[in-house]
Amino acid sequence: MKKNSFFRFFRTREFTVTIILLLLVILFGMTTKNFLNPSNIRNLLLQVSTIGIASIGMTTIIITAGIDVSAGSILGIVAVVAGKTALSGYPIWLIFLLALLVGALLGSLNGFIIGFIGIPPILVTLGTMSFLRAMVYQLLGGKWIGSYPPFPDSFRKVGTGVFYGIPIPVWIMLGLVLIFMYYLRYRPTGRYIYATGNNIEAARVSGISVKKILFFVYILAGMLYGVAGYIMASRTGIVQTNTGAGFELSVIAATVLGGTNILGGEGTVVGSILGALLVAVIKNGMILMNLPALLEGLIVGAIIIGSVIADILKTREGKR
Amino acid sequence: MEPFLKVSRIVKNFGGVKALKGVDFELIKGEVHALVGENGAGKSTLIKIISGVIQPDDGEIFIEGEKVRILNPKDAHEKGIATVYQEPLVYKKLSVVENIFLGNEIKTSNGSINWKAQVNKCKELFKLLDIDPYLIHTPMGELSVGLQQLVLIAKALNYSAKVLIFDEPTAILTEIEAEKLFKIIKKLSSQGVAILYISHRLEEIFRIANRVTVFRDGKREGTFDIEEVNRDKIIELMAGKALIETIERQKNLSKSPILEVHNLTSPYFKDISFSLYAGEILGFSGLIGSGRSELMQTIFGLIKKDSGKVILNGEEIEINSPEVAMKYGIAYLPEDRANEGLFLRETIKFNISIPILKNLTNFFFKIDNKKENELAQKAMDAIKIKAPSILTVLNNLSGGNQQKVLLEKWLLTYPKILILDEPTRGVDVGVKVEIHKEIVKLAEKGMAIIVVSSELPEVIKLSDRVIVMHEGSISGKFNRKEEITPKNLISAATGIRKAS
Repeated sequence: MKKNSFFRFFRTREFTVTIILLLLVILFGMTTKNFLNPSNIRNLLLQVSTIGIASIGMTTIIITAGIDVSAGSILGIVAVVAGKTALSGYPIWLIFLLALLVGALLGSLNGFIIGFIGIPPILVTLGTMSFLRAMVYQLLGGKWIGSYPPFPDSFRKVGTGVFYGIPIPVWIMLGLVLIFMYYLRYRPTGRYIYATGNNIEAARVSGISVKKILFFVYILAGMLYGVAGYIMASRTGIVQTNTGAGFELSVIAATVLGGTNILGGEGTVVGSILGALLVAVIKNGMILMNLPALLEGLIVGAIIIGSVIADILKTREGKR
Repeated sequence: MEPFLKVSRIVKNFGGVKALKGVDFELIKGEVHALVGENGAGKSTLIKIISGVIQPDDGEIFIEGEKVRILNPKDAHEKGIATVYQEPLVYKKLSVVENIFLGNEIKTSNGSINWKAQVNKCKELFKLLDIDPYLIHTPMGELSVGLQQLVLIAKALNYSAKVLIFDEPTAILTEIEAEKLFKIIKKLSSQGVAILYISHRLEEIFRIANRVTVFRDGKREGTFDIEEVNRDKIIELMAGKALIETIERQKNLSKSPILEVHNLTSPYFKDISFSLYAGEILGFSGLIGSGRSELMQTIFGLIKKDSGKVILNGEEIEINSPEVAMKYGIAYLPEDRANEGLFLRETIKFNISIPILKNLTNFFFKIDNKKENELAQKAMDAIKIKAPSILTVLNNLSGGNQQKVLLEKWLLTYPKILILDEPTRGVDVGVKVEIHKEIVKLAEKGMAIIVVSSELPEVIKLSDRVIVMHEGSISGKFNRKEEITPKNLISAATGIRKAS
């Protein structure tokens, strides 16, 4: 059985993505001057951290066979709230708590409509995406905040600080990855999340409150977008009306690339982080190679479609 | 006589599983050829190859002596091969005539649908099958499952089928509908259509088949004229062992009922009252759609009741979700194991432990892996689930083994009341006997068991008492073993009230 699980590892998406990542790192390392430069790597990881943290939430949602396109708008609202309270001089622990709370609250709105009223996730989150983006405009009054007057240094520390040579957001991401790996794998609720996505009817008959599970994953995801939103505001030092716009696409891309099955029931947090890394490495490498930005979109898009096709074929093959 | 369809040395592997190991098979014009075998024997694989759903890894296919390849279902239709599957594949919102001609429309010269011609053709087909032509424009979803099945036969005939394959057609039909189907099959075969008929019900095969082929473990065990063989011989070939039909057991009933249902009513049934004692097996018989399954789902908290009482050990209880039902020691095995019972893309272990995960956590609320593995292994051994390990994914198991997983999953909750909805549906004879033995063993140990089944032999074999339902009401209660006869049950199921 040990041997079995050993071989199974080589057939996982995580393994495939890791190999591709290594090959790309070698390729870009050899063909460009700056790719392996520590500051470039640090920058790259910083970009990955916000997408990675949000993708943990997106992973749990997609495992339940859901989707959340409001991630970027929730992140935007949180960034505005965090930025404004920072400017008012609130202590950072309170701001951080507020970020979690606002994220959870907005996530619970999605979760309530999806879980308890039973509206398809794509419709609900499309609605909240648009609604919350409008609120970002309203809250900011069309202006941006953070440049003048600037955010307090204490607020910027989380996003820009370094601990043992590694940016603090990366540490936060790693910590959250560990927690959620454990959670999804070893806690009954984690299993229920997989069960719900695998076969919602069977889950219900097995005594799982699928409505509560759905409600719960959107809250969880909302909180994680909250963390990402806080980091985004703290790292960039500016919050604008389009903060987080289009963010959900990168997050969904990372998650799907990392092997989370869009049909539900399958996926890992580690896979999604690897997916986020892969997208970031491709983008970064292509910029350094002076390739046109248009090409980058084409390649990332093609990889995403390819990986979704692979997933769906795999699911079909299983259903003979 | 030259066979119409002939396959030779067909091989098909799914990953490591050898589904067909070099099979020969012939189908002659005008015969009804029964194909039998345990689940996993390779019957379905052969059908899928003949109907173009999958491609064989090796071997040849001949139609009227000419070597062919059947590329896809459409190609099969064009070659005169049509299949009627076990579960009707229908478009519920579309009308009957739209269903019949979907993908095979009759068109006018400018390419639009010729409705008049379609309706006429449809009427012709319905006349042949003795279906009420009045139904032509009815949405498919409003028809009973039996009627849907008949419409799909009409659809198959519309491809001017020379070979018609039936995959367990009677599994979802009532006795009366099945009778009608047999007549149609006879009629078609007399017109020269070759019929390939797959069924787990051997009685049917002796009634309608001319020849029978037995599969076991991906190989053909033999083909016989129906006069050459008897029931025992076929079962022997299928299972490789003789099987007993009666079951003896110790009865140890509790004095007072463990469960009482008083005047339970929902949109699916009305005014249902009965009681259940620990240690007994109570059978629920009746036609499909008589409200049996919905009654059980209401007791288990999946459907909301309108009125009535459920009393457990003398105390009235309110069950509004499966979670609550489980807390009271009630377990329910749904009839549709693929859609309601199991997580087919997950492992045996995952499936078995899901209802009891909360009891498997350690001090830190973490699932105790070791405990879970041991439990799953023990469960797997207890009921002899045939699989490489507890980490085998359910999709790779035969229907019989999946059903065993479903049973074990619920037994691990240590229920006091076990409700089994079609416990052996689509399961081969060998596994069926094993499951029956297990049910009897559980009753002997003092569990209160309800068996809902559409198969009369099963209900009669297992039950101490039988309740028959008809159109949402109880139409018969039979408390003594000698009253539990096919005749009594059928007459009650068809609405002739006979309570005792």
